[in-house]
Amino acid sequence: MKNSQNGRSAQRLWRGLTTVTASVLALALSAQPLVNASRTDIDKFLGTQSSKIVTDDGGEKKDLFTYKSDYASTTELLDAIEDLGERMSEEGTVLLKNNGALPLTAEEKGKVSLLGFSSYYPVRGGIMGSSFIANQGTDADTVDLVQALTAKGFTLNPDLQPLYQGLESVFSTEVQSWGGTTTYTTITAPSIGGVFSSKEPSQAALNGANAGWKDGLSSYNVMIVTLARAGSENGTYLPGEAGVDPAQSLNQTDPLGLSDDERDLIQAAVDAKGSNGKVIVLLNSSSAMEVQELEDNEGVDAILQIGLPGGYGFYGVADVLAGDANPSGHLADTYASDIASSPAAQNFGNLAWTNADPSISMNSAIVQAEGIYMGYKYYETRYADVVLGQGNAGAWDYDSEVTYPFGFGLSYTTFEQTLDSLDVNLGEKTVTAAVTVKNTGDTAGKDAIQLYVSLPYVTGGLEKSAIQLLDYAKTDELAPGESKTYTLVADVQNMTSWDSAADNAVGTKGCYVLDAGDYRFTVGDDAHDAVNNVLAAQGAGVDGDSAKVKTWSLDSRDANTFARAKNGTAVENHLADMDVNYWLPGTATYLSRSDWQGTWPKTYTGLTATDEMLAILDNDIYEISSGNGDPSSVTFGAANGLTLADLKGVTDLDDPRWSQLMDQITLEECMIRTGFGGTSTKAIPSIMSPETIQNDGPNGIYSYPLGQYASSDASNGDPCAVAENDPNREYRFGTMVNETVIGQTFSKQLAREYGEVCGNYSLWANLTIYWGCGTNLHRVPYNARNHEYYSEDAVLTAGQGNDFVQGGLKYGCLIAPKHLAFNDSEINRTGVATFMTEQQARENELRGTQAIVENGALALMTAFNRVGITASNAHEGLMMDILRGEWGFKGLISEDFIMDANYVTLKEAVLNGVTMSCNTGENTMAAVSEKYSYWTLEAVGQDARLTAALKQAMTWQNYALANSNALDGLSSSSRLVSVRTWYDNLLTGLQVGFGVLTVGCAAMYVLSAKKKH
Amino acid sequence: MKKSAGFFMTVLSAAAAAVGAVAYFLNCGTNYFVNLGLNPVVMGCAVAAILCQAAYLVVTQKGQAMWSDILAVLPPVLLMVAAITLVSTRVNGIAAIMTFENNAQNMADLTSAIVGIAGCLIASVIGIAAAFFDTTAE
Repeated sequence: MKNSQNGRSAQRLWRGLTTVTASVLALALSAQPLVNASRTDIDKFLGTQSSKIVTDDGGEKKDLFTYKSDYASTTELLDAIEDLGERMSEEGTVLLKNNGALPLTAEEKGKVSLLGFSSYYPVRGGIMGSSFIANQGTDADTVDLVQALTAKGFTLNPDLQPLYQGLESVFSTEVQSWGGTTTYTTITAPSIGGVFSSKEPSQAALNGANAGWKDGLSSYNVMIVTLARAGSENGTYLPGEAGVDPAQSLNQTDPLGLSDDERDLIQAAVDAKGSNGKVIVLLNSSSAMEVQELEDNEGVDAILQIGLPGGYGFYGVADVLAGDANPSGHLADTYASDIASSPAAQNFGNLAWTNADPSISMNSAIVQAEGIYMGYKYYETRYADVVLGQGNAGAWDYDSEVTYPFGFGLSYTTFEQTLDSLDVNLGEKTVTAAVTVKNTGDTAGKDAIQLYVSLPYVTGGLEKSAIQLLDYAKTDELAPGESKTYTLVADVQNMTSWDSAADNAVGTKGCYVLDAGDYRFTVGDDAHDAVNNVLAAQGAGVDGDSAKVKTWSLDSRDANTFARAKNGTAVENHLADMDVNYWLPGTATYLSRSDWQGTWPKTYTGLTATDEMLAILDNDIYEISSGNGDPSSVTFGAANGLTLADLKGVTDLDDPRWSQLMDQITLEECMIRTGFGGTSTKAIPSIMSPETIQNDGPNGIYSYPLGQYASSDASNGDPCAVAENDPNREYRFGTMVNETVIGQTFSKQLAREYGEVCGNYSLWANLTIYWGCGTNLHRVPYNARNHEYYSEDAVLTAGQGNDFVQGGLKYGCLIAPKHLAFNDSEINRTGVATFMTEQQARENELRGTQAIVENGALALMTAFNRVGITASNAHEGLMMDILRGEWGFKGLISEDFIMDANYVTLKEAVLNGVTMSCNTGENTMAAVSEKYSYWTLEAVGQDARLTAALKQAMTWQNYALANSNALDGLSSSSRLVSVRTWYDNLLTGLQVGFGVLTVGCAAMYVLSAKKKH
Repeated sequence: MKKSAGFFMTVLSAAAAAVGAVAYFLNCGTNYFVNLGLNPVVMGCAVAAILCQAAYLVVTQKGQAMWSDILAVLPPVLLMVAAITLVSTRVNGIAAIMTFENNAQNMADLTSAIVGIAGCLIASVIGIAAAFFDTTAE
């Protein structure tokens, strides 16, 4: 009996152990496909590599490196980054108000009281997306406001930092997520569907923490109060009181307006400053805020808009405060006193379809009924029509609507600008303006030259903004009394209007036109100053200077000069289906200056898609078929003996070697690489195309530490090798100012320098593709993601973006504009249908990207949202006719981070020139076919149109890589070598080990059972 | 026959597996994951595991036969396969929801996926533990 019990015990033991080992074996075997499918992301996370390219070249290996860094070490590189971050902030900080309080004297620097929790916990980057990354122990450690002020010689009231540190629980925000709770001590932006909660500690809370906290204010009576609003991807503010936490009773009428706790803090500062103190407010926000009450508050001496300064920007803010830098920033957005009252704000939010269908990501629709009147184009145009008494503009008071106009910014000195000459050359398609700038004050400084144009408008004709930015430039630093003349050469394209009804060169409708009439050009300190100059020239009794206006007249309408794009492609309507009236006639009335009040946008809710629309909204637009030509006409798998390195630097796509090279690629490779393009391009063995790493932005190439993909072996000839013991290997480049600050610099030079420093960083870090140039417009300040975009204005956006991208290309870094197009809200961004007129699309949003592409950008990212009712990747008019056609884009395109295979529209995207989806997966047809059920060799291989498009997509992708630093170090003899990573070995070890153990345990079980019996 | 720890642990494991399977089924109907459909490996393994456990409980009430021990070994293995396969089908969605698509609705949709994964894993672990015990006391 005892033996029997022992035998049974042994049986149980071996049964249990067999179960353990078999279960672990099952885990190890089941995990293999998961590891294979996620290999790209695992490698990124662990810093491992599953393949590498080996080059055995007999020549000098260093000759294989086309692009050279300006820096000899990572220390020099990081010094340049730090320096640029400081300078961008110096020039991007906007002085909005100054009663003489700034700059501070040396004595005043010694008695500063920092107030507001955001002074100690500032927003330096996006809560999500372009998030700030702190660096310590590197050659460019990041700083906050306190550290920067201290480093710059300020002395701070010592009582206050402990006070706020002790109140962390008052202003902290906890965000619940799987895996735990993330606590933010900065202010945060509301998540989608959420509302804004003011976190500023109340006076009672401050008093409760330290009843004597005000005691030191009389000694430290230079009060710097920071008010912050966060920026965040996947976040949004909502207009008006609906966007404010209803549980708070803080008299806050808008999330971007002030709360009573913030007002009370300002008042406390004003009360405490005494007769010789000062109150300076820092607006730490990338969204325009409602600050009319601060402008009106005589106790507030100065206001600085500092944006999100990143890791070094506070040095620049300190320099501006101290007068070591003279502020020269100008607003990239209009600061309205009631943001919710703008025409664009009437249609913003979750405006759901009545027949919404989550299975096809059909959620909501936004009718952008403001037409072309977005941002200052609305405020200044309506103002002009009030002055001119036209357009049923009503009793509308500009001064009560706008606190600070677009382009506004003060200085510690004064400047006088004169428009000396202006020449319009339609043959060259240029406007050449000579502008003399004189420093009429007593402090050296830079000024922004803003060249505006007012187009001829007749009531009932094409919609025209009364004023629009045509070009801009930043002056050098001008000494007091110094004057200098600058020549601006603007593109006439930027003052054309899109007329959807105009006849065009190909006998259809739609063309860029220049209407007959007077074109008035002027320089202005801001958009309002400019429109006043124009109005003065028209004889209106306004505070403008007609002497600053030059008029050019066109006798008759010109619909020919811009009938063809720069590359010769005829233009025509390609976005007619973006107008909601195209699908649902009579639905929308777009705002018109012919009748402001009569056409004022209503909120378009409750739209219902028809069956015809649903056939497109289901994202299944293209039917794969054998009836689309002869598949054998598309060559794959040829043995032409070329590698991508043979085409290194070849910019002519008509070079026959390109077609010879791409004939070598296999259909399978094309299908896998387009289907799985996320995080890196992956190697393509048939043409020896290397894996090329992608990085997010725009506040720096921050996805990976500097050293993760850097070469550590200088013997391979890489002049930018980073040694294993380099102190900066762990540096993370999420440290720069946000894009709005860069817009506010009005400096193309700084934008170019930023591109160049990114290019250099790209060489050292071996990170080539950078999704770093946000070109969506600030349609409304409520989009919390505005921190990733420059401005509400397309010309400023394109100007900054173009120099940024060109700066990167100089070093072979592919900086990509994103997100094409109309991704101007984070609400329902995966699927939201975006409606507008083609005139609006082309003159605003698309103009912000057009010049960047036309000048040679080689990478681009599409948008989450729908263009009209068509997924952006699938919109032929936008992607093929405009982007690839009119703009001549030749580079690679990734879709945004869309994980729903039904919404990726892979087959339609490939047909429309998208070269890779954002998904990742195992490098097999089985894996990609599992993700996209229609994506099989059998089906696709029979469709000649699709196979040709696949090959074309891969040609564009590899053309971009061949003209980037991705091919540095590669030669014709380079070959791809697979690498077993440590986790591969671990997994195999587990499989073998537990396989053996399972068999062993099972055997022991059997033996024990037999023994028992 | 007197029931022992193995019985109760097997019941517990089956219950956890059932919770996981139901959660997965519900997850397949959520807005975010509806397009991925129902993975037959996940559901098949989970259901097969539960059936094995049910059969094991019934069979072993009449005596602990050697062949029946396979019914104790199989469920944890099947549930492990179900859990890892479920992770595979949801990993991209989890990554997206935790980052770029984080909102209340998507988090709610994700919940049932997490419950499904956790249910299968917990059931597997309990099943492993149960395998060390008989269902009846001798």
